[in-house]
Amino acid sequence: MILEAKDLNYYYQDGEQRRYILKDTSVSFEKGKFYTILGQSGSGKTTLLSLLSALDSPQSGTVSFNEEDIKKIGYEKYRRNNVGIIFQSYNLIPTFTAVENVLVPMSITENEIPEDTKTVAYNLLDFIGIGKSKADRFVNKLSGGEQQRVAIARALATNVELILADEPTGNLDEEMEQEIIDIFKKLAHEHEKCVIVVTHSNEIALQSDQAFHLRKGVLSSYE
Amino acid sequence: MNFIKRGFLGITRKKGKSLILLAVIFILGNLISGAFSIQQATGNVEKNIKERLGAAATVELDQEELNALSEADWEGVEIENIGVDLIKQIGELSYVKYYDYSMSTNLGSESIESYQGEGMEDQVVMTGPSMDYRLKGINYAPVIDFEEQKGKLVDGRVFTQEEVDNGTSVAIISKKLAEKNNLQVGDTFTLTNAVYTYDDKTGEEELANSRDVVLEVIGLFEPQSIKEDQGESSDGGMFDWMDIEYQNTVYVPNEIIVSETKFNMEEYMKADAEFAAAMEGEEQTFEYYTPMFVLNNPEDSAAFEEEVTPLLPEFYTVINASDQYDSIAGPMKSMSNLSKYVLIAAVIATLLITGLVVLLFLRDRKRELGIYLSLGERRSRVVGQILIEVMVVAVIGITLSLFSGNLLAGQVSDTMMKADSNTSDEGIIYYSEIQQTNLTTEDVLDSYEVNLNSSYILGFYGIGLLTMLISTVIPLIYIVRLNPKKILM
Repeated sequence: MILEAKDLNYYYQDGEQRRYILKDTSVSFEKGKFYTILGQSGSGKTTLLSLLSALDSPQSGTVSFNEEDIKKIGYEKYRRNNVGIIFQSYNLIPTFTAVENVLVPMSITENEIPEDTKTVAYNLLDFIGIGKSKADRFVNKLSGGEQQRVAIARALATNVELILADEPTGNLDEEMEQEIIDIFKKLAHEHEKCVIVVTHSNEIALQSDQAFHLRKGVLSSYE
Repeated sequence: MNFIKRGFLGITRKKGKSLILLAVIFILGNLISGAFSIQQATGNVEKNIKERLGAAATVELDQEELNALSEADWEGVEIENIGVDLIKQIGELSYVKYYDYSMSTNLGSESIESYQGEGMEDQVVMTGPSMDYRLKGINYAPVIDFEEQKGKLVDGRVFTQEEVDNGTSVAIISKKLAEKNNLQVGDTFTLTNAVYTYDDKTGEEELANSRDVVLEVIGLFEPQSIKEDQGESSDGGMFDWMDIEYQNTVYVPNEIIVSETKFNMEEYMKADAEFAAAMEGEEQTFEYYTPMFVLNNPEDSAAFEEEVTPLLPEFYTVINASDQYDSIAGPMKSMSNLSKYVLIAAVIATLLITGLVVLLFLRDRKRELGIYLSLGERRSRVVGQILIEVMVVAVIGITLSLFSGNLLAGQVSDTMMKADSNTSDEGIIYYSEIQQTNLTTEDVLDSYEVNLNSSYILGFYGIGLLTMLISTVIPLIYIVRLNPKKILM
């Protein structure tokens, strides 16, 4: 088990009432598997992902990475060394080229990275289908699918075992969506990564090794 | 791609914003640089002029305080003399390098001719009894005027303490006076202490008595500071009364002057019964000394004044040579004040304007900053990256404004000084016993110079960069409060 959430509660205080986004949510994830968390808009799936990626903290409950509470690891340090995050709107730095975007987390992480970081970055981009000519372009000159590939390469750049993706294909067409999902499957099955994708697409959920359904803050297995 | 490299890339990849920031810093930098240049230049003038004025001080009657007294106040007012004991007490203070107290009197002569200036002898018409020679009494044997470079001993020697204590008939005269009368060291010359009475009815003076004062020349001096000032003066060979007065000064031990003053007073009383009757019963003293204290440092003036003032009898005040600066430096002071206010305003404007510009740029880059934080970058390094971006541009802007602001300050201050000097009093020469030079407002303005020196450069970089740093750090609080989830999800 690489990641475990236990009794997570996340709510907004509305006067005297608590409006729960997540209620007593517990879930665990293993390496080498491709997971999906399915849910409608407002179901709390992005909040769950933000807690798993330490971009936010729960009011109660714990998230453990390799059986260590991420609060103890330190949220910033956990993000720096243990998790790669992919966003729906890519969130690349527009004034940097594709390869420069991949180089940024390499300079931030404390994980061991080969010395020739630029070669590693080019290889990573090549692995997810971005050739050298495109790697040297500014990211706003790339298509949406290409930008999301760059975002995936950036998430992999620090050599982490855990990849979290928030609606990664939300802005892409069907063909591109499948290409991205294939990359995730490859990362999980061939490279032993734990890939967790939050989505509202049943098609993607059906392709995952295990899918969860989140409804009104309560998580259940998706059959 | 560490935060330093990201900072530099941030400058080069966002050229438009960098140029806007550069322009803002350059414009504000010019204001700071200009005001700071003027501040530095006026400060240097004050320091230089005060150094030229010397570190001398004396104790005199406070004319302003006396003038302020009403007729009623004057009744019963008794003005004490400054006694030798008090002078010695003040002279022992730690601020004092050396001190002297001096009496002076004017005598005439029938055997020698006074110096009347180069080639001006025929043009001077003297009326009445001649009292051309100013005898200046000495208690400090090496002669303070020579130590302080007012004059320079060019032949012979200074007094011995024994000569001073005994009132030996020896004198140091100017080289020009000696040359005019073929006097050399070792020669003697005779001055006349003539006592005249004045007839109110005829308006004529009548010789009552006289006696010879025979003095041996032991040394010759040449004036120094007055001579230099003449050389620098724009009015060239104009007749200079101060030079003539100094060339005809005869340094002698104080005791000689006390003795001659006593003779003069006694003979006058013999000749004028009315005066003698008025003086009857009065305690008679013939010792009225003017003290002169040379301080270790002109900057000690204020502390010296503070310590001496409580020791003085009523109506006396401390006069410092550097006090003259206040009376001749009007234009300089107004410029110094104006530049001080401009400097303060420019620093505040820079803090506000640059702070706002940086904050606007940061808001524009909120997403980028959120990405760094989501990748686990330390907030301190994100702050560091922004600081590098702003401070590199700031160094360039400040360096450019260093030169242009300095040029601007030169132009502005030239215009201001011309305007100010047109409205100030021209041609007034200030001179007193304790002042070693005859400086004028013109001298002060002439010594004003806006230039690029190391203290200006360091000072300006210090003020400029510190202002920029503060105006950048305040908006950076914004980064510390950023929540990457809210920005990115």
